[in-house]
Amino acid sequence: MRAFLILFLLLASQARAEGPEADFEFFETRIRPVLIAHCYECHSASAKVLQGGLRLDTRATSRRGGDSGAAVIPQDTENSLLLSALRYDDLQMPPSGRLPQRVIDDFQQWIEMGAPDPRQKIHPPELPAANTVSQPHWAYQPLTVAAPESDLAWPANSPIDSLILAQLRRQKLTQVAVAQGRTFVRRLYFDLTGLPPTPRQIETFLHDQTPDAKARLSDRLLASLQFGEKWGRHWLDVVRFAESITLRGTLFPHAWRYRDYVIATFNADQPFNHFVRQQVAGDLLTAETRAEKQQNLIATTFLTLGNNNLEDQDKQKLQMDVVDEQLTVIGKGFLAQTISCARCHDHKFDPIPTRDYYALAGILRNTKTLQHANVSKWIELPLPLSAAASAEFEKYTGQIAERKKKLDALNAQLEKVGPLPVDQLPGIVVDDLQARLIGSWQPSTFTATYVGQGYQHDMANAKGQKEAIFQPPMALDGKYEVRFAYTPGSNRSPAVAIKVTSAEGVATVTINQKVKPPLNGHFISLGQYHFTPAAIPTVSVSNLGTKEFVIIDAVQFLPVALAKSTAKPAEKTIAIQDQIKELTAELEALKKKLPARPMTMSITEEETIGDTEIRIRGNVHNLGEIASRGFLQVIRTKIQPHFTTQESGRRELGNWITAVDNPLTSRVICNRLWHWLFGQGIVRTTDNFGTTGEMPSHPQLLDYLATRLVQKKWSLKSILREMVNSQTYQLSTDLHQANAALDPENRWLWRMNRRRLSAEQLLDAMLAVSGHLDTTLGGKTIRAATPNDYNYQHTSFQRAVYWPVLRNSLPDAFEVFDFANPSMVVGQRNISSTAPQALFFLNNPWLMQQADYLAENLLAMPAFDDEQRLEWLAQATLGRSLLPTERTLVLDFLSNSTTDLDAQQSLWRQVAHTFFASLDFRYID
Amino acid sequence: MTPATPDRRTVLQASACGFGQLALTGLLGAEQARQNRNQPQGWQPHFTPRAKRIIFLFMQGGPSQVDSYDYKPLLNRKDGTELSFDDARVLANTGNRGSSQQIMKPLWKFQQYGDCGQWVSELFPQTARHVDKLCMLHSMHTEGVAHGPATLFLHCGATNLVRPSMGAWVNYGLGSENNNLPGFLSICPSPGNGGARNYGSAFLPPIFQATTLGSAGRPAQDAQIRDLVNPRLSKQQQQAQFQLLQSLNQQQLQQYEVDHQLEAVISNYELAWRVQGHAPEVLDLSRESAATLEMYGLHRKATEDFGRQCLLARRFCEAGVRFIQLTYGDDSPNPAWDQHSDMPKHFEHARAVDQPIAALLQDLQQRGLLEDTLVWWGGEFGRTPYAQNKGTGRDHNPNGFTVWLAGGGVKPGFAYGATDDFGHQAVENKIHMHDLHATILHLLGLNHEQLTYQFAGRDFRLTDVGGRVVKDLLL
Repeated sequence: MRAFLILFLLLASQARAEGPEADFEFFETRIRPVLIAHCYECHSASAKVLQGGLRLDTRATSRRGGDSGAAVIPQDTENSLLLSALRYDDLQMPPSGRLPQRVIDDFQQWIEMGAPDPRQKIHPPELPAANTVSQPHWAYQPLTVAAPESDLAWPANSPIDSLILAQLRRQKLTQVAVAQGRTFVRRLYFDLTGLPPTPRQIETFLHDQTPDAKARLSDRLLASLQFGEKWGRHWLDVVRFAESITLRGTLFPHAWRYRDYVIATFNADQPFNHFVRQQVAGDLLTAETRAEKQQNLIATTFLTLGNNNLEDQDKQKLQMDVVDEQLTVIGKGFLAQTISCARCHDHKFDPIPTRDYYALAGILRNTKTLQHANVSKWIELPLPLSAAASAEFEKYTGQIAERKKKLDALNAQLEKVGPLPVDQLPGIVVDDLQARLIGSWQPSTFTATYVGQGYQHDMANAKGQKEAIFQPPMALDGKYEVRFAYTPGSNRSPAVAIKVTSAEGVATVTINQKVKPPLNGHFISLGQYHFTPAAIPTVSVSNLGTKEFVIIDAVQFLPVALAKSTAKPAEKTIAIQDQIKELTAELEALKKKLPARPMTMSITEEETIGDTEIRIRGNVHNLGEIASRGFLQVIRTKIQPHFTTQESGRRELGNWITAVDNPLTSRVICNRLWHWLFGQGIVRTTDNFGTTGEMPSHPQLLDYLATRLVQKKWSLKSILREMVNSQTYQLSTDLHQANAALDPENRWLWRMNRRRLSAEQLLDAMLAVSGHLDTTLGGKTIRAATPNDYNYQHTSFQRAVYWPVLRNSLPDAFEVFDFANPSMVVGQRNISSTAPQALFFLNNPWLMQQADYLAENLLAMPAFDDEQRLEWLAQATLGRSLLPTERTLVLDFLSNSTTDLDAQQSLWRQVAHTFFASLDFRYID
Repeated sequence: MTPATPDRRTVLQASACGFGQLALTGLLGAEQARQNRNQPQGWQPHFTPRAKRIIFLFMQGGPSQVDSYDYKPLLNRKDGTELSFDDARVLANTGNRGSSQQIMKPLWKFQQYGDCGQWVSELFPQTARHVDKLCMLHSMHTEGVAHGPATLFLHCGATNLVRPSMGAWVNYGLGSENNNLPGFLSICPSPGNGGARNYGSAFLPPIFQATTLGSAGRPAQDAQIRDLVNPRLSKQQQQAQFQLLQSLNQQQLQQYEVDHQLEAVISNYELAWRVQGHAPEVLDLSRESAATLEMYGLHRKATEDFGRQCLLARRFCEAGVRFIQLTYGDDSPNPAWDQHSDMPKHFEHARAVDQPIAALLQDLQQRGLLEDTLVWWGGEFGRTPYAQNKGTGRDHNPNGFTVWLAGGGVKPGFAYGATDDFGHQAVENKIHMHDLHATILHLLGLNHEQLTYQFAGRDFRLTDVGGRVVKDLLL
């Protein structure tokens, strides 16, 4: 080791002997990229909070060091704190993990060399920093239509390529070669359809020698139905699509229509500006056809999907929270603006005053999103039907309404059960308040069918120790019916023993207090008894032998003559009850015949329309001045809105968002497309084009795309077609050392980014390869009779985009592989690499099931030998031939078994499983 | 110059030197750590923590303070009388103050316990024996009158807006204390009243959300970490398959020049392999002595479920999990402690948790864990001292209630703050839920104003624009 080190140092000093140029090169290739990647975040001018007072982005500050002392002392490896921190001696840096020994050796060598550092002055950041006050923020400027720079020295396929190449040249970077055909075809299939190509599709493409083979393939994939399933899902991330809310796991039974509408819109390549207007104001748009009307209404589900807390008891606050949520989605989703920041005060960074917030809020406040109640509810509207279906529907609804009206009238004639005053009752009534009580009884009025002032219960405790004794205030003579009143309930005792003492002796009657008392909902008869003045009539109730609540309310002693007239319901009542029974049966029959009426989640206009007040410091009860309805003042378009007291203003809002001279909307969606295709946006903060967001790396390219989108009548497919047909998209992911040193993050796109498969791509690809993909398009996918989203078991074999997005029960793979949080606008998913992901690949039962199917398919290829099977497996899962080393490893593994068929099968299952878990399956090259 | 490509061997060598950190980044998501501008705080506290970890015993539904820990003798004297109160629900619904309410005395008798002489009702006789370990906060108040808003406020510091949960913040700020288990575990969380949001990460990277075991309303006995075990292969078979996988990965990696994300995937497989070797042991209660199982109440039906949760909590504590939440609750809209009409039912719930909690306190102490473990008991709000609709239950009360803390740097045998004479509103040394959050973060070594995350153009924090550390509670 020591000898090696000495040799190393010798080599290093030789390098040094070659002069300062070589030394600087060492710094540029080995040191600076590491500093940028691992240190600058906390130790440079761009650090949000400078850590430890240390800056490593200039030579001077690196040498001076921070709070702990000098970071870099030339030729002093003992005392240079930077080196000791990298070694994890005392200070441990970077905190995210010790860097590889190779890197630490580089730093040691560099300090030995005297720490050559060409950074004499503070360099400006590599990308322009956030705009200064003197220069207006880029995103609010009109689109620039600069002719792409053409440079004959750089052959370029398209304007995209020439703009990319121009920057590469400026940055002194070299583009890597174009990807191989098999790499390209796998990439294109995954990117445009979300599915892997089959071995046959790979083969077909590779054999196509025509010059436009790539373009024709991309056209075909753009036209496939799978395109919408892939790209519609991206939009669903942005609009926080979900099919339940977390509060009580309540399902949105009709949200799937919106999902299917989005997919259909992407497939049909509906103009994006129309798509925006439909979502914001579809209910207000005119439509030619019924299908269009339906779509317009379904589109507005967009406004209703928020994960709102419907139980908030302050409904004014809830309403403004809903408006805020909608503004957040509209602002971030369409405009990449953080409008919500201006709810309580003027936006601290962007030119969005609170007045603008309430100008927009006024529009949405005119829109009714929830029907308020203790737990408020979203609004569901019927979809327009065909004339025939509509007539049929109306016929039945008319009949049903008529029967219902009759029923209500009949029910009203029946006696209502409510509190019953004692003085309305015949005979002698002893209320619970007059009873003699033993033990502690709790008065209550909770169940309001009591007699008198209330009733009492035994608190379901001290069983056997409580008793209530009811005695009439006077002596009785003759035959009486004895009735007992109680308020029923499911927590009551089913067997309460009541003793009646009369001239006949002591009788015990057991009653069930769970069921409704049969006599008018108040009383139950305990029987008829003969009383004489010699003995005091007594009715006593004990809680002995009970477990649940025992109720006492009143006892009625009714002369038998009176009892007859009230014991049975009047004949009139019987007649009414019969009619009710009959009508109810008819109603049920009619309901069964009623055709299912398709419904959708939507909104309606409020009854009163107008402007709303500014809420001072965001407090919904603290009203300030009225803010006239309007839009963001910083974005001036030629649209002159006319707000009326007849309409909310959403139609105007939709027009303003999609105005040709609104510079945000077209830029934002083109940037999103770029991000979804290349793995990073031209503006990397896809949901924030404000001053706290990042600047575009290629502003001209972004403006070219945005202008092009408008030219192409807002066709997203046209833009995507240009992107995938560009050379930039078709580059390999090969590493180029010199480029990597200058641009480690590939900001200038000198190569294609290697990307991992998303949760949906993983699931879809496994289903596709296992042969069990259910290709049914859309539909209602939450299992019937699901009461709420708690512990929902996902068992679908449809594409993952159709798996119910249940906020309390996401599929395992969604949870683990950074699926978009369905309560928030997510333009950029997280990309984490975690142990739970590895556990999913090692042990998930669903995954193993797909591997089993795959193994069955392989073994069912009788003409194939093991090697051919493996080759097919590699083509299907990895999109390439088996590497010779892979072949050896797997054949070796398979040879571990006997000829036993079960053992063979088990090994093949494990092999299929292992291919799913391998790197090349999980990544798109 | 040959490109310096760290192959897997180098990576693993490096991890042999600084293994802990590498494993940690793997578990927490190496790529975020590298790329995100919102880098976790280096998984280092802002200052020396008093507590290394926390166990939150969530009493879902809102236990009644006046029937348990907040002794108000006046209620006995005024029982049944009608008086005017500012009821929180009435105020939220109508904006009106002052409504006539009928006082309901506590249903259980109080007596003094321990050297500190704290009053505890006969609802919690076992916990009462440990009262000298507890730090009572009698003056809590919070936001949200209904379960949904208040439960979210308790967990996320907001009644409605989607925000990260407290456990996610702590996990983000401090990371895990161990290499083989996640940093934030929630055992049997309720799917109701905000459900997944109560342990979610919102805009923080998803890796900081809780790993859940089981679900409230289902037996704790079935609570498992997902995909932890392979149900069909023997240990030996799995070992062989794992070797094949890693060898294949190694071959595939060699096709490319250096790629850190692929290397991270490989090291995560190594880590997962260790997790699945280690975690089932932590979950396995069979090696606990009969005496321990009995102490936690696992031998009795009433206490078995929550006892199991408490015992698991202790084991996770020992294994170095940072934030452990237990839930005594269910999946209904009127969860467990929510006695609107049937106050006596509190007894059933108290019986289910009392012995397990007492056992946990005792066990943590005898193992020397209580010193640096903070235990937090409480609900989303308390209950009114008067009967709801003059009936036999109590309604929600966010304006005054009791929670207690124990261990981890808080004063033992201590009571702080007070409600009015009826136990209705916090009046003395009031502690808002934001203050409790700030104080708990402080005990864990985090400054609640510095634990921030930039999202949508601004910095967010658990305590929003509020919160203050209640220094009087600290040792």
